[in-house]
Amino acid sequence: MHWQAAISSLWQNPYLGIFLTLLSFQLGLFLYRRSGSQPWLHPVLVSVFSLCGVILYTDLSYGRYMDSAQFLSQLLGPAIVALAVPLYENFKLLKRYWLAFVMSNLVAGAFTIGLAVLIVYAGQGSEVSVNTMWTKSITTAIAIEIAPGIGGVAALAAALVMFTGILGSLIAPSLFKVFNINHPAAQGTALGVCAHAVGTARALEMGSIQGAFAALSMSFMGLLCALLLPFLV
Amino acid sequence: MLKGIIILLAFFLGGEFIAQLFAWPIPGSVIGMLLLFVFLLLRGSLPKSLKHSSDSLLPFLPLFIVPASVGIVNHLYLLQQDGWLLAGAMVASLVLGIPLCGLLMQRMLKKPAKRGGN
Repeated sequence: MHWQAAISSLWQNPYLGIFLTLLSFQLGLFLYRRSGSQPWLHPVLVSVFSLCGVILYTDLSYGRYMDSAQFLSQLLGPAIVALAVPLYENFKLLKRYWLAFVMSNLVAGAFTIGLAVLIVYAGQGSEVSVNTMWTKSITTAIAIEIAPGIGGVAALAAALVMFTGILGSLIAPSLFKVFNINHPAAQGTALGVCAHAVGTARALEMGSIQGAFAALSMSFMGLLCALLLPFLV
Repeated sequence: MLKGIIILLAFFLGGEFIAQLFAWPIPGSVIGMLLLFVFLLLRGSLPKSLKHSSDSLLPFLPLFIVPASVGIVNHLYLLQQDGWLLAGAMVASLVLGIPLCGLLMQRMLKKPAKRGGN
């Protein structure tokens, strides 16, 4: 029997990366559902953590992992295009609210991005960190695509967006209470601008209007930042 | 299903083409999304096949971002160097940004008569 050869050929197999990604993501989904949708047990977080562990502690390098998992990354483009569908479906809701919606997205979006970038800049963070911080209010899928173009790092952008998403989902309900923010559309928009996809999931738990507005502002901010940032930064 | 996927790919490729054509630094996928959105607005209805494809594709969007996110293993030095700074910046912008956005929108919604009434 050729244990050594068989095992090393398994590490080289082009399907291994896809398999490990699906497996760890399924584990993440399981934990997320079991925990009653705790934001800090988000499937992406569990999956990324376990895969990083595998790459750091075994023979599998990121390059070899990516050669295989590339297939999943390539589906990102068409999936981003598909975001136009929920945007179109929720668009009718904006009729009465559009001015308030656009204004709060612009003001709050510019404020949170500006403040975060300023803090990293003032704290003498590296140039890569400052550049990547510009993407913090874009949904992860689009942030990954934008970051390299403005001198940032895609993976760091994903980590930052994930972090704000999870933290935002955790603290938003208390902030709404403290500041007496009870309008469902305002709650949803605040979650969408500051906490993206994870926030949208949280908003959907609060109600369908919150969910729709979170999804709307997530798409709106994503589009706006994607169209403007490459020319501004 | 297949028709919907073809529509998505067509808009994706169209977006990539436009980005190249004008040498815009915008991802083709985002241009494709915008084009598809405008197309749906003009058409005034959502093709069933497209609805079906996007409903089956979008739940997996989080899965598609995993491989790129795992790339953080090659940039752990960035987190060691700037981790606390980045975390602090995000906490500050969240704690101030969420109330700002919520309050602003709520204010604007609660007194519509002032400007929009006449």
